[in-house]
Amino acid sequence: MNLTLKIWRQKSPKDKGRLVTYMAKGISPDMSFLEMLDTINRDLILKGDDPVAFEHDCREGICGSCGFMVSGQAHGPLKGTTVCQLHMRHFTDGDTLVLEPWRAKAFPIIKDLVVDRSALDRIIIAGGFVSVDTGSAPEANALLTPKDNAEIAMDAAACIGCGACVASCKNASAMLFVGAKVSQLALLPQGQPERERRALSLVTSMDDAGFGNCTNESECEAACPKEISVRNIARLNREFLRASFSHPAK
Amino acid sequence: MALDAKIPEGPLDKKWDRYRFEVKLVNPANKRKFDILVVGTGLAGASAAASLAELGYKVKAFCLQDSPRRAHSIAAQGGINAAKNYANDGDSVHRLFYDTIKGGDFRAREGNVHRLAEVSGNIIDQCVAQGVPFAREYGGLLQTRSFGGAQLSRTFYARGQTGQQLLLGAYGALMRQVANGQVELYPRHEMLDLVVVEGVARGIITRNLLDGEVEVHTGHAVVLATGGYTNVFYLSTNAASCNVTATWRACRRGAFFANPCYTQIHPTCIPVHGEHQSKLTLMSESLRNDGRVWVPKTPGDKRPAEALPEEDRDYFLERKYPSFGNLVPRDVASRNAKQVCDEGKGVGETGRAVYLDFADAIKRDGEDAIREQYGNLFDMYERITGENAYKMPMRIYPAPHYAMGGLWVDYNLMSNLPGLFVLGEANFSDHGANRLGASALMQGLADGYFILPYTIGGYLVGASLPAVSPDHDAVKEAKAAASERVHQLLALQGKRTVDEFHRELGLLLWNRCGMSRNEAGLQEAKEKIPQIREEFWQNATVLGSDGELNQVLERAGRVADFLEFGELLVEDALHRHESCGSHFREESQTPENEALRDDENFAYVAAWEYQGVGQSSRLHKESLQFEDVKPATRSYK
Amino acid sequence: MSWFTKALKSSVGKKFVLGLTGLALVGFLIEHLVGNLLLYKGADSFNGYAHMLESSELILPAELGLLALFLVHIVLAITVTVGNKSARPEVYSMYASKGGRTLASKTMIYTGILIFVFLVLHLVHFRFGVQSLDAEGRRNLYAAVLALFRSPVYVAWYVLAVCLVGLHVSHGFQSALRSIGVNHPKYAPALEALSLLFGFLFAIGFSSFALWAHFFKGGS
Repeated sequence: MNLTLKIWRQKSPKDKGRLVTYMAKGISPDMSFLEMLDTINRDLILKGDDPVAFEHDCREGICGSCGFMVSGQAHGPLKGTTVCQLHMRHFTDGDTLVLEPWRAKAFPIIKDLVVDRSALDRIIIAGGFVSVDTGSAPEANALLTPKDNAEIAMDAAACIGCGACVASCKNASAMLFVGAKVSQLALLPQGQPERERRALSLVTSMDDAGFGNCTNESECEAACPKEISVRNIARLNREFLRASFSHPAK
Repeated sequence: MALDAKIPEGPLDKKWDRYRFEVKLVNPANKRKFDILVVGTGLAGASAAASLAELGYKVKAFCLQDSPRRAHSIAAQGGINAAKNYANDGDSVHRLFYDTIKGGDFRAREGNVHRLAEVSGNIIDQCVAQGVPFAREYGGLLQTRSFGGAQLSRTFYARGQTGQQLLLGAYGALMRQVANGQVELYPRHEMLDLVVVEGVARGIITRNLLDGEVEVHTGHAVVLATGGYTNVFYLSTNAASCNVTATWRACRRGAFFANPCYTQIHPTCIPVHGEHQSKLTLMSESLRNDGRVWVPKTPGDKRPAEALPEEDRDYFLERKYPSFGNLVPRDVASRNAKQVCDEGKGVGETGRAVYLDFADAIKRDGEDAIREQYGNLFDMYERITGENAYKMPMRIYPAPHYAMGGLWVDYNLMSNLPGLFVLGEANFSDHGANRLGASALMQGLADGYFILPYTIGGYLVGASLPAVSPDHDAVKEAKAAASERVHQLLALQGKRTVDEFHRELGLLLWNRCGMSRNEAGLQEAKEKIPQIREEFWQNATVLGSDGELNQVLERAGRVADFLEFGELLVEDALHRHESCGSHFREESQTPENEALRDDENFAYVAAWEYQGVGQSSRLHKESLQFEDVKPATRSYK
Repeated sequence: MSWFTKALKSSVGKKFVLGLTGLALVGFLIEHLVGNLLLYKGADSFNGYAHMLESSELILPAELGLLALFLVHIVLAITVTVGNKSARPEVYSMYASKGGRTLASKTMIYTGILIFVFLVLHLVHFRFGVQSLDAEGRRNLYAAVLALFRSPVYVAWYVLAVCLVGLHVSHGFQSALRSIGVNHPKYAPALEALSLLFGFLFAIGFSSFALWAHFFKGGS
């Protein structure tokens, strides 16, 4: 099949980018979306043109490296799928696709489709963990965890940190990312001692990074390749408010 | 040079205790005076960096991804082994030790493996405390399952994303130390060279992938946790950025590379489908717990799976290995799949695939039960192939997956170069010639959380390590060499892409040095690799400039190193005239086509010393002493 | 900054207050709708009800409270929207929903602004505009309603405005609940349904007054 691609090209963070049109010819429906881009890049390289920069690594939907907008949708049209796992059989011959990087103040563009997502790391640095030094852990079965809670925690923990929630949200809000981490640890007994501190500091860090506010449109959930529920956002709100009003520290 | 593994004296189960008592300790106040450079932030690197920082060392952590959380450990699916015996099925430290030694076909060190089994339980404790959401029973206790190569239930798991969850736990611990100011994080930094000052590893040269700046970082010890080299095969289950550069550069600086020919081919991967394919996708071998592997009995039988009655199917693993059945270790499962395909019984368009069938399990447990356990794997299979595995059997084929070989290390996890520690998949130490399922996560975390934090202190306290000036000749030379190499790569203005060379090398190795190997094929590969390498330096094309994000340049450097390393891989395979574990030499097999080991001549670790590009490396042997177990013919019948 | 202002100034805090005021305003709308049903009982009941409210000692604090609710709701909505725009300075050249957004959710700020315009006019017309008295000396709001809805243009504008109110509430109610942290797998579907129900109720209920006045009492 043949496709027309309009791809965002931007040489550097300061460069003013633009959409450039490319033709993808002889694409097999069994190719993944990134393999299709590989062929475009191969042609560009052989012509002596700068290939399109895009991030990818595991190509099995778990590392969270890849991600860009495909015709206005984060990771493309298929639900619950990263763009590396999206296959060309979901497109039709003659389609025109627009490829743009994630756009958010907190995700500055580095080059072409590559953005800087270190704001998500900074949120985790603010307290998205359980403070436990190596060696000091109690026997693993000493703390019982209800299976149902462990399952909901696992649903939240499945986040791959790709940033699609931010990219798809009209407000560029990171509430689903933060909600997932806060929920995971709030649901497990191991997360209890830092439960309130964590909710407060993660929200502060998120706000400082310049993400927008959540307006509960659930677009993040629809775009999340791991289909993480917006229920985690409600839980984050609950955790934050509870912590604000009850945490003993001033 | 005689290689001293420095394994402590005494009975096997007392060695690690004894070591910890005898190792010299670093005064807590002095720890902050030591700078440790940790390269790689996967399970081994992140856990090591976090644990060292907790002890008070000043740590710099480097990764080439944009975030430490993206290291390829994240892709491990199935689980992590630990000798907890929660299942009350007869597990013990000794049994995990024995299974691992046997699974590795008696080509691993007893001392290291026993230590690994000893700390396995602590790893689970640590990860649970970090909030890793392991699978649970209704009573709230941890759940376990059985996994390839083990007859008991000792594998802990978090759905099909165990590696992800363990890595996020270690990443959290690492980020906590970043918050504490104990770890300085350098994402998007690639190590280009090792700085060796007067025979001691004292620093690294990195390239900032965003602006191309070549930087020098010096410290008191260098820890490489940079993963395995399986991407040398081009098509593998590894992530695109997995590479040999850090370990190969260390090898070029004098560190010995051990057992490079031990490369694991994983049996349950989605088969190759087209020439543009960029990677192979693994599906957890936990699928083999419920799936049955079969092919048509008659070669060339092209009827669709559902049209084949039971009597025309060959459940070859169950037939040949009645006691382990579909759960035989990876090397055995892979080799048998290749064998039946070579006999013409393979299925699918290419004939290079076997069925993995869940029909019986679905009939027995119901589709919902199967969905609960393997749902995400079935979804993944459908996304890639467009086929519904609840309705028709999956098609699978082996694919390169893991490197048991790696830099040689002693019991301290230190290479022959003092000050250079190597952890996780990057070292060679614990899996022998074949790794058992769910043991990679165990080893990576054991090295990082529970072994290196002890052993590195013993080195630091005893070594004289004066500060290294940035003007030291060794530093300047390494930095200049790294910059020079970047410029050489950028000067390549040929007619073929870097990926084409990588693909060519990979295909050659897969065909001649893959699941089975023979003298003629290996000789051919040995001749061809230098030709590919020469052509690469003549005819590859690398675009763009140095001072920007340049993904082609990054790949070019890694492929250039694979082109040097590949030769060593073949050389090692060629010299090992025996079959063991994943290394199957066709000249060395039993009448039943099983691997035939040669303990008399090859019960040693082959550690190779670099002698120059295109030169044969020099072989050093560390003989393996088995005091506790008796090497026996591995039998899974 | 005290913990209190810090909490309220955070993104979560702002949405919390926005949600709370929104829920309170839904409460007011319910009261307003129920009160207006007295229109159907006739002039005496309706004017009597209005007179009872207006002559109460609590009318001033109640009206000031309502004013405060509206002002806080509006100011916060604008602050949040401005913040959201600045969180994505460069917009996508192409954007398509993957299924989360609804007509109601993506138009909240616009329906909100139109409702505000309507609210001002509504106050001018009914709260401050009606001075004529009925036989008992009470403000004759009943007659004013019938008079205003004689105009088909006014009816159309009114129906449009209350439909926007309905649309706004259909997303606003469930969004407010989520913002204050209410979301449970057991009750969420019911509350989401209730949100839609409120939307329809307000749209249909308030529209019915205008249509009834126009078609049955307007003599047009």
